[in-house]
Amino acid sequence: MSADLQDRAAQAIEMLAAAGADDAWATAGQSRDVEFNYRDGALEKVKDTTSQQLAVQVYAKGRYSSHQTTDLNPDRLAGFLKEAVAITGALEPDDQRAVTSAELFANRPEADLDLVDSTVEALDRDQRMAWCVELDGAARQHERVISATSAVYDGTQTQASASSNGFSGVQESTYCWLGANVTLSDRGERRAADGFFAGSSHVGDVPDAGEVAGTALKRALVRLDSEKGPTGKTTMVVDSRVAASLIGRLMGPAYARSVQQGRSFWADLIDQEAFSSKLTIIDDPLIVRGLGSRHYDSEGISAKVLPIVEQGVVKNIYVDTYYGRKAGMTPTTGRPSNRRIDPGEHSLADLLGAAGEGVYVTSWLGGNADGTTGDFSLGLRGHMIENGEIGRPVGEMNVTGNLKDLFTRLDAVGNDPYPYSTTLAPTLVFSDVDFSGV
Amino acid sequence: MAIKRRDFLGQMAAGSAIVTMPAFLPGCGVNQATQMATPTPENPFMTWFGVDEAVITRVMTELTANGADTADLYFQHQRTNNLSMEDGIVSRANSGISQGVGLRVVIGEQTGYAFTEDLTLESMLAAARTAAAIASGTGLVAPQAFNPKKTGDLYSIELPWADVGIDQKLPILKHVDAQARKGDPSIQKVSVNWSDSDDRVMIATLDGHLIMDHRPMTRLTAMVTATRDGETQSGYSNIAARQDFSWYTEERINNMVEEAVDRTLILFEAKRPPAGEMPVILAAGASGILLHEAIGHGMEADFNRKGTSIYSDMIGKKVAEPFVTIVDQGTIPKERGALNYDDEGNECGRTTMVENGVLRSYLHDSISSRQYKVGATGSGRRQSYQYAPMPRMTCTFMEDGPHTKDEIIASVDHGIIAETYTNGQVQIGAGDFTFYVKNGWLVEGGKITAPIKDVNIIGNGPEALKRISMVANDAKLDTGGWTCGKNGQQVPVSQGIPTVLVSTMTVGGENVS
Repeated sequence: MSADLQDRAAQAIEMLAAAGADDAWATAGQSRDVEFNYRDGALEKVKDTTSQQLAVQVYAKGRYSSHQTTDLNPDRLAGFLKEAVAITGALEPDDQRAVTSAELFANRPEADLDLVDSTVEALDRDQRMAWCVELDGAARQHERVISATSAVYDGTQTQASASSNGFSGVQESTYCWLGANVTLSDRGERRAADGFFAGSSHVGDVPDAGEVAGTALKRALVRLDSEKGPTGKTTMVVDSRVAASLIGRLMGPAYARSVQQGRSFWADLIDQEAFSSKLTIIDDPLIVRGLGSRHYDSEGISAKVLPIVEQGVVKNIYVDTYYGRKAGMTPTTGRPSNRRIDPGEHSLADLLGAAGEGVYVTSWLGGNADGTTGDFSLGLRGHMIENGEIGRPVGEMNVTGNLKDLFTRLDAVGNDPYPYSTTLAPTLVFSDVDFSGV
Repeated sequence: MAIKRRDFLGQMAAGSAIVTMPAFLPGCGVNQATQMATPTPENPFMTWFGVDEAVITRVMTELTANGADTADLYFQHQRTNNLSMEDGIVSRANSGISQGVGLRVVIGEQTGYAFTEDLTLESMLAAARTAAAIASGTGLVAPQAFNPKKTGDLYSIELPWADVGIDQKLPILKHVDAQARKGDPSIQKVSVNWSDSDDRVMIATLDGHLIMDHRPMTRLTAMVTATRDGETQSGYSNIAARQDFSWYTEERINNMVEEAVDRTLILFEAKRPPAGEMPVILAAGASGILLHEAIGHGMEADFNRKGTSIYSDMIGKKVAEPFVTIVDQGTIPKERGALNYDDEGNECGRTTMVENGVLRSYLHDSISSRQYKVGATGSGRRQSYQYAPMPRMTCTFMEDGPHTKDEIIASVDHGIIAETYTNGQVQIGAGDFTFYVKNGWLVEGGKITAPIKDVNIIGNGPEALKRISMVANDAKLDTGGWTCGKNGQQVPVSQGIPTVLVSTMTVGGENVS
């Protein structure tokens, strides 16, 4: 399959050149995805699909455009690529646009990242059904369960890229995830609900189905009788499972594009001691079996470990080739891979104990952040921290502040990075945070 | 240089027996609505997808080989074009074609789904066999003829987007940029994004219907960044509709740009309100996001048939004051959320979710309407051929009430007005919902006193409905480009509301010590 995709990408480059492109980039992709949903003792949905697409980037007469199609009929594809070049010609010239320089392809890592598990392709209906039945049984192990939906997702993704200046590469990965969402009857018409999903590139690394669904049920059970907590300024302990989302908000404008467009609070932070010294964020594309691991990024830039923040000092941001040129910055990569947040020494229990009181956040609900200023306001659910322990469940609350300011008040990080995410974040503890509730 | 899409399609057709540029005249197919009309290869949608009735029958037979309560083939060809302008030049375009057929079998509450992008008989039969594996009964006799339903006219357009060249769009982006820069000397950066699409779907159903719909869409967005005394602020505005090129009048564009500039400049003065519970006035228009999150999702029947929504046992109950009526209506012409037919081929209509304060009807797809033994509400939607449909909103709004905007503001001693939004979310079971207020105002002593910014508001659906204490008579629909996400599927929606007072909700903000 990967040889076919490489041919398809290479042919697209030839066809674009013939149509008048000066330079071009092409990526041919294929994926197989299978999804089983099982609800309350019966199979609910089976989705089994194979999908193909071709994406191209065209550089012609100092102009640039990008295009993608799922219609790979050879005659129509030829017309599509011809049109892509013609569309490019109708734009305004932009002298900052150029295909990725071949120097950035150099030193591509060769280490085996072990992202493909051949047993994923061999999974059959019986195995998926066995997981579903096990998930369903464990998820409904309580008299207050109204409904539980379990799911198994697995598949294979393959992408081959080629460029007019000699790039060629194939990346393939497999995935297999299990999980369940559980809804319980709560007071009045309310339902308490939560879920848990876990997965890996390798079937052997996927945790036991009964454990996964048991975690989902436990997470739903602790939501029972949740009430609004108090308005006030206090300590915030962010559970490792949802810390990645907060890190994502922080990193949202850490891109050359945002900086060059004047929409990033990171603009003035480079080389500065901007955040708490407890914060270290490393973009690491080379983690074996990592969910975001790769040998090269979507522009073909060879993967390397990139420190973003080291002990509070901003070392790098994400710089792609185009905005790098516009902003006068050296390209790093325009796309995050895995993010490792350096863990601390203490467990969640220790951190809650040290906090004494505050709010322990276990999920977010909506909210947003302004990337230009860093101002944020997020909905949350979790628990009050009472006498250093997890106390009563709370919800319908907001946390509000400024991200730049919040991360100067990161007082501690846990020793418990959450594994089922491309951002491997531990528990995070912040002091003096504004909550609104009752 | 003038780029006319038709010229390129002409080239594309040269080597191909399948794709031509069918004349998608407004109202095409109207004459085929007669009973038992036999679609011929002249049917432009069949031509477009390169299939005929015999092929559809053959695939439907394979799809229902193990039995089915319902089954459908969802053919789709979507062409999108995007243009963007930054730093004074229109130097980026993107075009995309998304084409394929989704095949679905439903038996009871069970769904088998597959799709293929390769519209050859062989590939479609293989996908049909995959989807059919959900069932294990005896095969059905597929319809030998598919009766075309009358083509809808909610968003018939004069000129398909395929025929509008980049040379025509480019001056609009330039105008937006120039107009925004004129807005204030502090404006440093302007970016403009244009998008248009022609989406053609053809749905063949097990009961022998053939539904064809051409769904245009366009959206224009302006983002503005301004700097004053070393402080930088940015904001944006956009407009979207199922319209054609003629919709973009200078006045409409200028209004949108002015909004983007105003929303940005006010941020220099805006502060966070105090944190906590307070009365919230929802400004008319985009505040319809409250309805979308606080009740709309909870009324989608899939959650209710599973018992997972807070509204599962509340039909017929009083949930709000008698002056509260909340509707989901797919048939408002040209709106972003409008649809002639839903993605199961059911005609869209008007569903009253709350009538004079009483909970009336869920939003149904075919699975739930069969289970509840009620008529379809035309709410079965999907992101594309790659997904099975489920109940979704279209255009959600609240009817006018008995109060006025001035009365509402005057009645609030200490609270806020929420005016513009970026996003919202809901937790269906507990009913907790949030929406993020980008711009708003502080109200003190019945008067607007200062601008506010960047606060999340959180509430509980049924409680917030109960607390709608005043509804004004100035209902309007928002023209922003809203997109709703559910279970990983994105669909365009619209929303609207008159000025409304919710007596208390929890507002994010600062704690003054």
